[in-house]
Amino acid sequence: MEEILTALDLKRVYGKGAAVTRALDGVSLTLEAGEFVGVMGPSGSGKTTLLNCVATIDKPTSGSIVIDGRELTGLKGRELAKFRRERLGFIFQDCNLLDTLTAFENIALALSIVKAPAGEIEGRVRETAQLLGISDCLNKYPYQMSGGQQQRCAAARAIVTHPALVLADEPTGALDSKSAKLLLDRLGVLNRDMGATILMVTHDAFTASCCRRVVFLRDGRIFLELRREGQDRRSFFQKIIRVVSELGGEMADVL
Amino acid sequence: MFSKLAVRNVRRSFRDYGVYLLTLTFGVCLFYTFNSIEGQGAMTYLAQNRNPMVEPILMLIDIFSVFVAVVLACLILYANRFLLRRRKRELGTYLLLGLDQGQVSRLLFLETGIVGLLSLAAGLALGVLASWGLSALTLSLFSMDVSQLLGLSFSVKAAGKTVIYFGVIFLMVMAFSGLEVSRAKLIDLLQSSRRSEELKERSLTAAVVQFLLGVLCLLGAYAILLTFGMAVAVAILPICVPMLALGTAGTLLIFKSLSGFVLKFAKGHPGFYYRDLNLFTLRQWISKVHTTYLSQTVICILLLLAIGITASSLGLNSTLEAMTDQQAPFDITVQNQGADWSGPIDFPALLEENRMDPDALLEWQHDVLFYYNDPSVTGMKEASGAIRVSDLDALLARAGRPAYTGTLPHLVENMEEIPVTGNLGLTCVVIPDEMADRLEIRRQVWSADYAGDKENAENSLVPLLESLREKTPVRVSSRLMTYQDMVGSKLLALFLGLYLGFTFLLAAAAVLALQQLSQAADNAGRYAILRRLGAEERQVDRSAVHQVALAFLLPLGLALVHAAVGMKAANDLIAAAGKVDSVQSSLVTALVLTVVYGGYFLATALACKRMARSA
Repeated sequence: MEEILTALDLKRVYGKGAAVTRALDGVSLTLEAGEFVGVMGPSGSGKTTLLNCVATIDKPTSGSIVIDGRELTGLKGRELAKFRRERLGFIFQDCNLLDTLTAFENIALALSIVKAPAGEIEGRVRETAQLLGISDCLNKYPYQMSGGQQQRCAAARAIVTHPALVLADEPTGALDSKSAKLLLDRLGVLNRDMGATILMVTHDAFTASCCRRVVFLRDGRIFLELRREGQDRRSFFQKIIRVVSELGGEMADVL
Repeated sequence: MFSKLAVRNVRRSFRDYGVYLLTLTFGVCLFYTFNSIEGQGAMTYLAQNRNPMVEPILMLIDIFSVFVAVVLACLILYANRFLLRRRKRELGTYLLLGLDQGQVSRLLFLETGIVGLLSLAAGLALGVLASWGLSALTLSLFSMDVSQLLGLSFSVKAAGKTVIYFGVIFLMVMAFSGLEVSRAKLIDLLQSSRRSEELKERSLTAAVVQFLLGVLCLLGAYAILLTFGMAVAVAILPICVPMLALGTAGTLLIFKSLSGFVLKFAKGHPGFYYRDLNLFTLRQWISKVHTTYLSQTVICILLLLAIGITASSLGLNSTLEAMTDQQAPFDITVQNQGADWSGPIDFPALLEENRMDPDALLEWQHDVLFYYNDPSVTGMKEASGAIRVSDLDALLARAGRPAYTGTLPHLVENMEEIPVTGNLGLTCVVIPDEMADRLEIRRQVWSADYAGDKENAENSLVPLLESLREKTPVRVSSRLMTYQDMVGSKLLALFLGLYLGFTFLLAAAAVLALQQLSQAADNAGRYAILRRLGAEERQVDRSAVHQVALAFLLPLGLALVHAAVGMKAANDLIAAAGKVDSVQSSLVTALVLTVVYGGYFLATALACKRMARSA
C-alpha cells in the first residue's frame, strides 16, 4: 500500500531551561492510503500537538513528516499554505463554518481557495453534499442548521477538494450522540467508498471504535496501538474501553 | 508606575489609536485654521481697507466654531467609546489583577492626556501650514496682489482658543471614560468578545426590486431638480420636500439593496463569483448591510453636503470678477443729490483747485444730469427721473455696450440699463436731448475712469470727494469699493462654506473608519478560518481591503453623482448671474476630498489589514 503519512521520531518541546514541556517525545506513525486512524490519549498527552504538526499549523522541534511524498519540515510560508489547501482537509470540534455564508458557499469557498475551475464547483459541491446527507440544507446559514448538520457540512468542506489526508480534531466533541453517530457513519462511508485517508483525534471511545486502527498516546509517546482487523464494532469498543481504564486518569471521566 | 503604563499603552496601541489620533489632529487643525483667519492675508487686506465685512466674518466664524466644536466633541466621544469597547478585556484584566476602578480611571485619564497633548501639538503644527494654504487660496481666488501678506504665522489667540475648546472636550472624554469604567461589571468586561449579531436571510429578488425602486426614486429627484432648477427646487416647499424625500429614499434603498443586487448578479457569473475570496467578500458586505445602510445613507448625505458646500463656495468666488464688472462699470461715480437746489458741481475745476490735473489723473470722465420727470412733458407717469439720450449713449459707449436705438421717450424698466457704479435708485425715462430744457434738474451724476495706477488715483480722489459732503449730500461709489464689498461677502461665504464642508467631511470619514475598524475586529475569527482553509495571506489581505473600499467608496460614489447633478443645477443658477469657472473649484474640491477622505481610507485599510493578519 502507498504511504500517505510518515512521521518519524517527532519531538515538540515548549519552553526553555527548567520549564521545558515535552509535548511530543519521539512519536513515529505511518498511515497508508485509505486508512482511518484514531488517536486517543488523556489531556496533555500530545494528541493535539501531533495533529497540529501534521496539519502544518505547528512545527516539530525535530523529526520529519512526509505527506504524500512531500517533506513538510522544509516548507515555508506560501508553500505551506499551498500544501495545506491542496493536500489536507480539516474538520474541527467547533465546526468553524463561516457564519456569513450559506452551507453551499462554505463548501464552495474551499474550492475557490484551491482555484478549482468555476464551472466544476457547483457539481462537486452538490455531489459531496449528497454523500454527507446535507443536500436539503445547502441554502441555509450555519445558525439555521443543527450542530450535526454543521459538522457534516464542515466534513464536506474538508473533502470536497479531494485531499490526500483528512485531519479531524474531536469532530464529535460538541455533538449529541445521535448526530455523532450520523457523522461517524458518513466518515466511514467517505473512508470506504471514496478511499479518503482520515486521521482523527478523539477523547471518546465510541468515536474511536469506528476507526480501523487506534493509537494511544501518553506523555508524548505512543503507548499502544489497537487494530480492528475484522472484529465487529462492539468488541472493538470493549477493547478500547479496557485500554482506557488501564490508562486511567482523566480518560476515566469521559466514560 | 501609572504614567509608565499609560505611555506604554499609548505607544503599543498606536495602531489602534491611529484613526482616533487622526481625527483629533484633523479636528484641532481645522479649528485652529479657521479661528486664525483674522491674521491671514485676505482678512488683513480687508481690515487695512476698513471693510465693513471684517467684523461679521469674525463673529460668524466664532458662532460656527461653537457648532463645529459640538460636532467634533460628539465625534471624539464616539471614537473614544469605540476604543474603550475594544479594550474591554484589557481593562477587565486590570480589574482582575486587583487595581480598583479609581486606579483604572486614573490610567485612562493619563492616556487621554497623553493622546490629547500629542494631537494638540500635531494639529497646531498642521494648522499653521493649513492656514498658510487657506491664505494662499483666498488671495489667489481674489486675485489680490498682496504677496507680502502671505507668510507663515502663528496666531497665539487662535491657538489659545483651540487649546481651551479641546481641553474641555478632553476633560469630557476623561469623565466619560471614568464613568464607563465605574459602571462596568467585571464579567461584562471579560466576556465582551461575544457577538450577538443576528443574520437574517434576505431574498435576493427583493433586493433587486428595491434597488430598481431606489434608482427610480433618484431619477425622480434628479428630474425635479433639473426641471425646476436649483433656485425654485430649494426655495419652494411643495417642490423641495418631495425632491429631498425622493432623493433620501432612493439613496437609502440603494444602500440597502445594492449588495444583494450585486450578489444576484455575481451568482450568474461563476467566473467572478468563485474567483479568490470574492464570494466571502460579497457575503461579508451583505451581512453588514442591515446594520450599516442607515449610517451609509447619512455618510453619503454628509459627503454630499461637504462636496456641495466646498465646491459652491469656491465656485461662487469665481463669479466675483463678472459681478463686479456688472455692478461697477466705471472706476468711480459721484452722485450729487443736492444738485436740485445747490446746482451742479464743476468736477474738473474742483480737481484743479486742489492741485490735481484732471487730464493726467483721469482717462475718461462724463458728467450726466438727471431731471425730474414731468408726465405732462414726457408722457410717462411711472418714471421718477429722466436722462438725455446723448448722455445715456455716452455712458453705454464707455461701458462697451451698443447705443440706444429705440423710440423716445422710453421708459427704462431695468435700472442696470443705465451704467453707473453704485446704485442709482431712480426709475428713468430716456428723453430726446431738447426735451431736457423743459425739465428741472434733479441729480448730477459724474462718472470717470482713472488713468495710470488705480489705487493711487482712488486714494487721492476719494477723500476730496467725500469732503464735499459737508456742503451737499454726495454719494461716492468706486469700483474698488464695490469689489471690496463683494470680496468681503464672498470671503464670508468661502470661509463658512469651507469650515462646514471640512467638518462634515471629517465627521463622515471618521464615523466610517471607526465602523470599519470595529467590523474588522469582529471579522478576526473569520479570517482565522480562511487561513486554516489554506487561503493565502495576500488573498485575505485583499478581501479585508476590498471590504473597507466598498464601505468608503460607495457613499462617496453616490455622493459624487448627487453632487454632479446638484452642481449642474447650481451652475445654471450661477451662470445666470455671471461667468462660472467650475473647473478650478472642482479641482480644489477633489484635492481636498482626496487628502482628507483618502487619508482616512488608507489609515483604515491598513489597520484592517493588520487586524486580518494578526487574526
